[in-house]
Amino acid sequence: MIKKFSWKALFLGLAVFVLLLFVPRYLPRFQVYLFALIFATGLLAVSLNMVLGLGGMYQFHHAVFYGIGAYTVALFITKTSLSPWLGFIAAPFVSALFSLVIGLICVRLSKLYFGMLQISLGSLVWAVVFRWYSFTGGDDGIHGISVPDLISSTGGAYYFSLAVTALCLVIMFRIVNSPFGRSFQAVRDNPERSEAVGINVKRIQLTGMVIAGIFAGVSGSLFVVIEGSVFPELMFWTLSLEIIIMCLLGGWFTFLGPMLGAAIIVLLRTFVGIYTEYWTMILGIVLMLLILFLPQGVLGFFQEKFETDGMKTIREEK
Amino acid sequence: MKKRMWLPVCMTMVLSFLLTGTAAQAGNTIKVGIVDTYTGPASTYTNDVRDAFKLATDKINAKGGILGKKIEFVTRDDKFKVDIGLSAAKELIMRENVDILMGTINSGLTLAISDLCEKEKIPFLVTFAKSEKITGEKGNRYVFSMNENTAMAGKAGAAGLAKKPYKKYWISGDDYEYGHAIADSVWNHLKTLRPDVELLGQSWWKVGEPDFTPYITAMLSAKPDAVIIATGGAGCVPFLKASAATGFNKSVPFYMHTATEMSTLAPLGLNAPEGVLGTSNYFYYFPDTPENKAFVKDFKDAYGRYPKVGALYGYITANFIAKAYEKAGEINTEKFINALEGMSIGSPIGELTVRAFDHQVMFPMFMGTTKKVEGYDYLIATDIVTIPGKDVMPSIEDIKKARGVK
Amino acid sequence: MDFASNITLSALFQQTLVGLSRTTILFIVASGLSLILGVLRIPNVAHGSLYMIGAFIMYSVNLFFGGGQAGFWIAVILSPVAVALISLAVERGLFQHLYEREHLMLLLFTFSITLVFGDLVKMIWGSDYRCVDLPSAFQGFFTIFGFPFPRYNLLLIIIGPVVAFALWFLTNKTRIGKIARAAAVDREMVGAVGINVSLIFAAVFVIGCFLAGLGGALVAPTQNIRQGMDHAIIIEAFLIVIMGGLGNIWGALLGALIFGLTDSIGILVWPQFAIVFPYVVVVIVLLFCPKGLLKSTW
Repeated sequence: MIKKFSWKALFLGLAVFVLLLFVPRYLPRFQVYLFALIFATGLLAVSLNMVLGLGGMYQFHHAVFYGIGAYTVALFITKTSLSPWLGFIAAPFVSALFSLVIGLICVRLSKLYFGMLQISLGSLVWAVVFRWYSFTGGDDGIHGISVPDLISSTGGAYYFSLAVTALCLVIMFRIVNSPFGRSFQAVRDNPERSEAVGINVKRIQLTGMVIAGIFAGVSGSLFVVIEGSVFPELMFWTLSLEIIIMCLLGGWFTFLGPMLGAAIIVLLRTFVGIYTEYWTMILGIVLMLLILFLPQGVLGFFQEKFETDGMKTIREEK
Repeated sequence: MKKRMWLPVCMTMVLSFLLTGTAAQAGNTIKVGIVDTYTGPASTYTNDVRDAFKLATDKINAKGGILGKKIEFVTRDDKFKVDIGLSAAKELIMRENVDILMGTINSGLTLAISDLCEKEKIPFLVTFAKSEKITGEKGNRYVFSMNENTAMAGKAGAAGLAKKPYKKYWISGDDYEYGHAIADSVWNHLKTLRPDVELLGQSWWKVGEPDFTPYITAMLSAKPDAVIIATGGAGCVPFLKASAATGFNKSVPFYMHTATEMSTLAPLGLNAPEGVLGTSNYFYYFPDTPENKAFVKDFKDAYGRYPKVGALYGYITANFIAKAYEKAGEINTEKFINALEGMSIGSPIGELTVRAFDHQVMFPMFMGTTKKVEGYDYLIATDIVTIPGKDVMPSIEDIKKARGVK
Repeated sequence: MDFASNITLSALFQQTLVGLSRTTILFIVASGLSLILGVLRIPNVAHGSLYMIGAFIMYSVNLFFGGGQAGFWIAVILSPVAVALISLAVERGLFQHLYEREHLMLLLFTFSITLVFGDLVKMIWGSDYRCVDLPSAFQGFFTIFGFPFPRYNLLLIIIGPVVAFALWFLTNKTRIGKIARAAAVDREMVGAVGINVSLIFAAVFVIGCFLAGLGGALVAPTQNIRQGMDHAIIIEAFLIVIMGGLGNIWGALLGALIFGLTDSIGILVWPQFAIVFPYVVVVIVLLFCPKGLLKSTW
């Protein structure tokens, strides 16, 4: 996952960004909306991959932090008279707080135990949201959230999502390549040795969870901008599984793989859904084939194929 | 060759995906988009909506359509998920350019689409979601409800229960909006009709609870005179099953909205409990009128099964659409809405009217008790009492209050 | 309502019995999951789908034989066998190529199987609710301390220990069980002494899935058989397995007991919060025993 900074990558990234700036001018409205949705979902998947791929932790209930981010913005707009923009600033902090609390409880456990405890705790949060009718709107959710005019149109939502996602990706890329990112990977590859050389494993893992939570919260707030609705399903465990799929599908040992995975899932469900109601079966078959033949994910496959410089060192023995 | 290779490959893949079949051309048809749940337990209700809608539109099209245009419809499966359904609704509006949206059975999704339709100025005809917020608190100019809602069910249930001698009640139900809304509605109206009733307690189970035996014994230990069961959809069948297995229906009488519907009773066969009080909008065997018989025959000829309550909703929706456009005189959304407000049509259960104020179709409610009857493979509703639509509708004052307007 | 105003000793006893019958189903399903997790290291999310398929096959077979005592028992036996055959095909066709993959990949793979199975069930059985009628001998209820107790639930309470004993016998007293337990601890070692580990794995997988099918068949008469049954059970089964200790059959039994009993007694004591009981229990257990209650094979 570690990538040397290269001018080529920077140039390429900038080129893609500039290209994307022109999307709303040339594509129909629905495709613009889809792009925005892919950015938000992709950001969520990349944020999960910060702990899943980078840290090797079984973050089974990532959707909770996404939902909390979304609900924070929604409640800020509907229940307070403060500026809605404050909600967008608050969302990552609230998600980080929940991440910290859940992380503190879970981080003592490892692997599947960690994941299942997280599912239980996350489901408790979900149950509170689901039941607290007066505050969260209960299972009906909150709809018709009026985001600021600037970003309420399809195009506005698109540019906002694009800008925020790009910014978050840059920050996350920096984190991955920071000393923290390196120690996090060391912990993943060999926790005992890391412990021995003086890395505080639990603290590193907790920090990783909080960082992932922050960006999940940001992507939750993007969801509100794009859809104008929040509902408890945003923090239900099935969504968490879906995000894990996006990571594995795109390639969880690559930085942008989860983004690609998110794009594949969103497009598949939108366009196959037009022709058949059996799209989950098609998704299932596609997934099976990918696991059988492309175990490193789509992006991982291409990178392994076309890049010689040490990308594949990490995926052995686990 | 390195990286330059895969990026264009992926980009072209994505782009080709994105650009497939952009927007159907606005042809000589009226296009209706249906978003509904065709996967999962709820699909037992929604398939009938779609099939009866098709039956009605086929008939309308065979007669030459509306204003010379045929009705055409497309469906999208939302899997009972709000995000998928909302995305599908946007696709139908933005890409398929539908004139009208229809659906769904998921109340949360319906509220979300209703809000979307208000922004996009597309009429949205709700065909199964029962939240009273749809035409109540959250009602808007573009949303119409083509089915009954929790407020109406509650009022009907209360009217029936008020005539019974029971005083001490227990309330149980699905722990989500639908359950609580039905329970609150029944209880509030019952309290106004009979101030002497007393609530012993309540228990709520999670949606999709598989086994009700523990809840039943817990209720029995409180010794109520009667129980109000506020469960819907997939919960009805196992609850009736558990009450038959424990003899609950014999020891404590209970009322459950939709208990008498065919979707609930047919799977249970002859082992369903007798004497359960329930309300419903429609039975294929009631009312025993020529209109209903003709509809049942058409439906059975087309699909080989008897229509359930969803079929009524789908059927009248198609007919409302046709009549409203004809009255409007052109394919124009605002005129369509003006025409639909206050409109009446004939239906298998008699004349139905859209109340102009809140866009709610005024359904009569049929209250009956389950019983074994010769000639049926399953229990049916008997001693059916019809509570007319105007008596079960929430008052306009209540709706104004919920919306916070004077 | 006063807190816990209606708890009497007899009601408590009654709820315990009801909880025990629920425990049986949970145990049967969870033990199969635990077995597969312990030996094959596959977090088999498709276990829930097999449970659902078991229930649907139960319905069809029972209908085919016209119900009654004979049809019922034939269906109870045939449907888990059918599920076992399906799982055998899946294992030989797909899983045996994947044993070396990471757990997350296996999890994802089994999840994609659930997607396929879910749609297959919809294709085959449609969307109407289905019910299995009990033979008349099991219909109705006993009255215990003034409370009705369904006869069929009593049957379930008897079946539970029988299955537990059979599993104990299988894992501890038979050759295949001993090899499987050894393979769970050290795969290479067992392979090195000339035993075909792949076949052992297949056998364990099939037995585990048989249990899922059995659970589905036994639960079929108590509820409505429908799409979506898989989702409801799988999360519970996983929580039970985790609580009890991964791969430990007795752990699964203990977990199922805790789960079943807190649920049924919780309903009596604190009915408004039934929705959160399972999660609270798991959180409490894992806070105090981070590796589950009993020794895990992992």
